[in-house]
Amino acid sequence: MASHTSKVVLFVGRINVSGLGLQKPVSRVTYTTSFFANSSGGKKGRFDKDGQGFVKRPRRAPAQPRTEKMPVDQDWTSVFPTATTFRPSSVPLPLRMGYPMKGAVPLPKMGNLELIKIPNFLHLTPGAIKKHCEALKSFCTEWPSVLDTDAKCDEHFPIKVESTDYVSAGPSVRNPSARIVHLKVKLSHFNLDDHARKKMIKLVGARYCKDTDILSMTADSCPLRQQNYEYALYLLTVLYHESWKTEDWEAEKSLADMEEYSWEDSPSQKNMLDILVRMKVAGEEEEGEEVREQLLGKSEVQEYKDSVMKLKNEGMNERTMLQYKEAVVKVLNL
Amino acid sequence: MAAPMALRRELFSLVRIFSGVSHLGPRALGTCSPHMKCNLIRSHLPLASSTSFHTATVFSSTPSPITVTEEPDTLFQKVLVLVKGHDRAVLDSYEFFATTAAKELGITINKVYEPPKDMERFTVLKSIHIFKNHRVQYEMRTHYRCIELSHLTGCTAQVYLEYIQRNLPEGVAMAVTQTAMEKIPNHILEPVWEEHPIDDKPSQ
Repeated sequence: MASHTSKVVLFVGRINVSGLGLQKPVSRVTYTTSFFANSSGGKKGRFDKDGQGFVKRPRRAPAQPRTEKMPVDQDWTSVFPTATTFRPSSVPLPLRMGYPMKGAVPLPKMGNLELIKIPNFLHLTPGAIKKHCEALKSFCTEWPSVLDTDAKCDEHFPIKVESTDYVSAGPSVRNPSARIVHLKVKLSHFNLDDHARKKMIKLVGARYCKDTDILSMTADSCPLRQQNYEYALYLLTVLYHESWKTEDWEAEKSLADMEEYSWEDSPSQKNMLDILVRMKVAGEEEEGEEVREQLLGKSEVQEYKDSVMKLKNEGMNERTMLQYKEAVVKVLNL
Repeated sequence: MAAPMALRRELFSLVRIFSGVSHLGPRALGTCSPHMKCNLIRSHLPLASSTSFHTATVFSSTPSPITVTEEPDTLFQKVLVLVKGHDRAVLDSYEFFATTAAKELGITINKVYEPPKDMERFTVLKSIHIFKNHRVQYEMRTHYRCIELSHLTGCTAQVYLEYIQRNLPEGVAMAVTQTAMEKIPNHILEPVWEEHPIDDKPSQ
């Protein structure tokens, strides 16, 4: 339709007919022809339409920005309900952003690319967050009030399973590190006797920490987290049941395999008893097994035994050395 | 509206939860299930799509909102949310949003701290050919922010994390480390050998 009329008007222009009814179109056509004269020919068809558009549509004044019409007590959540790019005409704030030139201030918000580039949180004002949380509250559950301290949590739920989820933008949503599962548990919560505990600690090796009594295992050999979790539980089950079993070859456990130092049948005990027997023999003339047992029963000998055990098991520090010194002094009656 | 009905149902389930807590089984806490998940997603979709027109229409399209199941809820002793980004100001705003949301939902925040930033620098030749003495150096700065939350149930954690993650700004990545607590499974309570004194090696 527009092209049809444009042809008509041009025709009029070329013939150069001037009349009352045609005055307006003529003047417009002359304007448009001069416009054509200025521009270098090429795309006639588009210019026709554009020329027509120029002629037809009067230029309308740009509307007032929305900020002028915003009431002070409006509902901001309906202005910016979701994450969108920054619209300077919808934000009634005198924002400025950008690195200023010398002696100047940062650029204003209209047409400011820096404000458009940076992610804005206009959709997450405190009021909006409150509204969202009100709607979400009904899907949340309460933490049981009985489990308020860590100790209680450990007592009732001793196994801790740790895993990580990753969220990032990229060609893929998956992250292979998300399959890793860490399992932590304190051995004191298991039903283990002495032999089972020692065997369990020997079986796990470096995964057990003596100071905190925590066994920590990491499972990452399977591709899925569920698989790794089940594998970790399976390992725990196997460890537990195997440590209760006593194999035939465990009878060959030698002194070097022992985890802790024990004073009974040790060179320290032999030496101490020899010394004491000789001291006694210097006084009286008795010898035999009963003397040894009597000596063993004495409290100073027990003290000496405790101090030696502490020295060997806990290591050498000031406290243990002092204890050892006092025990020796008492036993040898110095 | 469905909201008061949902609230009533929720209150009922809470009563059940609290009555069952005295002998502290998490059995009665079950509100988390695949049904829950799709309800969650369903309730979020209108929030995302139709909000460009009106916030009022959000609640009108929710179907039956909450289902309570017998499946026990997981318990998270600690949830660590680490956000990474190139812009510190964006992380500041996000931290405010996450902490406010946690407070509104009644989640205990242990601490919020800022691990030191990482700078990855590399030097490249400025020219495509020769001019080895003229180079250009670039660096990439990664800022971090860590929010530690404690004592979350599985349902609350799901709701909160989904809310947080949907509103993650562009250019920011997140890593969530959760520590779940569990009871010792039944098959580890007693050794098997006492029931079967014959020494048979289990193949499983």
